[in-house]
Amino acid sequence: MPAPAIRALGILSGQQASPALQILTLPRPDRPGDRFRRATRECLLALAAVDAMLEDGKASREAIAGERTALLYVTAAAYGASNRAFIERQGGVMHFAYTAPAVVPAEVAIEFGVAGPYGILIGGAPATLRAIEQAARLLEAGTCDRALVLAVEIFEECADLYAHHRRFYRWPLVETAACLWLERGAGAISFESARGGGREAGAAGSGERFAAGPLADLRDWRARGVAGPVELSGRWRGEQARLRWSPENSHARGSAA
Amino acid sequence: MATPERVVIAAAGVVTPIGQDLEAFWSSLVTGASGISQIERVPVADLRVQRGGEVKKLGRIKDWRGVPDCRASRLLIAAADDLCAQAAFRPLPLDPARVGVVVGTALGGVEEGEKALAGDRGGRRLSQALYDGPGWALARWLGARGPVITVSTACASGATAMAVGADLLRSGEADAVVAGGYDALCRFVLRGFDALRSLTRDEVRPFDRRRSGLLLGEAGALALLLRERDARGPRLGTLLGYGSASDGFHIAAPEPEGRGLERAIRAAMADARVSAADIDLVSAHGTATPLNDRIETAALKRALGSRAHEIPVNSIKGSLGHTMGAAAALEAFMCLLSAQRGLIPPTLHLEEPDPECDLDYVPGQARPARPRVMLSTSMGFGGCNGALILEAS
Repeated sequence: MPAPAIRALGILSGQQASPALQILTLPRPDRPGDRFRRATRECLLALAAVDAMLEDGKASREAIAGERTALLYVTAAAYGASNRAFIERQGGVMHFAYTAPAVVPAEVAIEFGVAGPYGILIGGAPATLRAIEQAARLLEAGTCDRALVLAVEIFEECADLYAHHRRFYRWPLVETAACLWLERGAGAISFESARGGGREAGAAGSGERFAAGPLADLRDWRARGVAGPVELSGRWRGEQARLRWSPENSHARGSAA
Repeated sequence: MATPERVVIAAAGVVTPIGQDLEAFWSSLVTGASGISQIERVPVADLRVQRGGEVKKLGRIKDWRGVPDCRASRLLIAAADDLCAQAAFRPLPLDPARVGVVVGTALGGVEEGEKALAGDRGGRRLSQALYDGPGWALARWLGARGPVITVSTACASGATAMAVGADLLRSGEADAVVAGGYDALCRFVLRGFDALRSLTRDEVRPFDRRRSGLLLGEAGALALLLRERDARGPRLGTLLGYGSASDGFHIAAPEPEGRGLERAIRAAMADARVSAADIDLVSAHGTATPLNDRIETAALKRALGSRAHEIPVNSIKGSLGHTMGAAAALEAFMCLLSAQRGLIPPTLHLEEPDPECDLDYVPGQARPARPRVMLSTSMGFGGCNGALILEAS
């Protein structure tokens, strides 16, 4: 399949608040306006990731507005925070609407006027690699002119739950919000996934970002300024996925955030 | 542009408040049976509305050993059991690595999260609480080792899942896909919709002048998708096309003109290479909220033009309640069964027409007709709009 070109990538990555804390957190972004009064941290981080992407691409917000922009959102667990808040009766009546994973891309669609095709995949890194492949397919079919792949993962609000099940995850957990802007390109892309195999090698030292992991890896690849193909891989619930990607006309530079 | 490979719906399986297999579901729809009752499985005494479409006893499967103690997973697996019975699909007649699972849900295993936060943190509770937990439980039960995908486009999830499943077949990533949707009634969602004042104390009356809100339901609905060239034996129909579009308007309320839904319908018709003249039946989202039904009617009129007034449009939510992630898949199956059986189920409890909802909504009783091409529409929180185009066998 023809590979999409990378137009821009914005990424916000959690910082270690204290040596003892095993979750690298992202602060709740400030965003003026009454509309954001109730917005959850994951929603605001998604908006900040899109801002960072626009900055990286030196583009205005009008450049992504309209019906010709597709939006694909991926997360394994970002909704956990708002689900917990509702279960524990924090927040008012309207908070229930914010428990749906769909509200994160909805906030982006509202704020930036994105009104094209959309998709929301739940899962870890393989889901993100699949979303990039879906974006490539939408671009190839002419269903859209540009596709945004948005991934948000936050952990702090459910830290005790993750700690209780800590053997299932690679630590530290790194909160991440990222958005990748893709357009039609001239390279090649291939996706494959299989069950089984051991823990993914190479990324063990960088912590766990769930769905946002591949976009962080992509940022690192761009920061190295290496021309040529990139291989992104990820693992979730025993599925190992791999995306081989030669984005020939990609911008090989670091992200803005 | 090359014509995309056709994907058939070879068989379907369901568990619903009006029947725990496809035949019972269909019989109840055409006879106007209601699955709405007092909710019994979870405490509701503190809620304003205490009724819904609850599946009272999951009677299909007698032995739940090896299946997580998770309502959502069990609804999904009960639907899969019906699917397997209809399609002779278990044990898998294919290489398990070539069988994919794609499910849509608005809530995932959130009830497991409620249990975990109440102190029950045993075993894999957190794993099940993540929204993709039940999809993986289904894959394990089926023995499927191909791709496992969970989508969560709110109440349009079932439509999205079927479209993603078709893509897996077209891309060659799988040779068979079990695709559909599910959601379970739990405190979380009942309390949420109750707080939003979206629920009615009356009957669910789609497109009726007196409509005053929805009731929630629970269900599982799964289809076996195959490439047409691989499909042998009977089939329900063909998935011709899919379209989606986001409103970009509001977190919880639909865009007042239904522009997003209109775009999704147009995209689905383009994907299916059909025009409004080809559509013979519309299965509407039809939640029976004052806003939804008026907006949906307007969107259908714009997308289908004058043809909108000639096409029967029904909603089955008066029978089942709004089954959220399962709704679009159930409505797609209703369309295909209508074509197969020559009957369109009525829109239950539609008695007094609304001047703002002026299409032919099939009131009263089932109507003899044999639609060939059908449109099913879905709308969800966050401005998610989805549309499926289906073709009879």
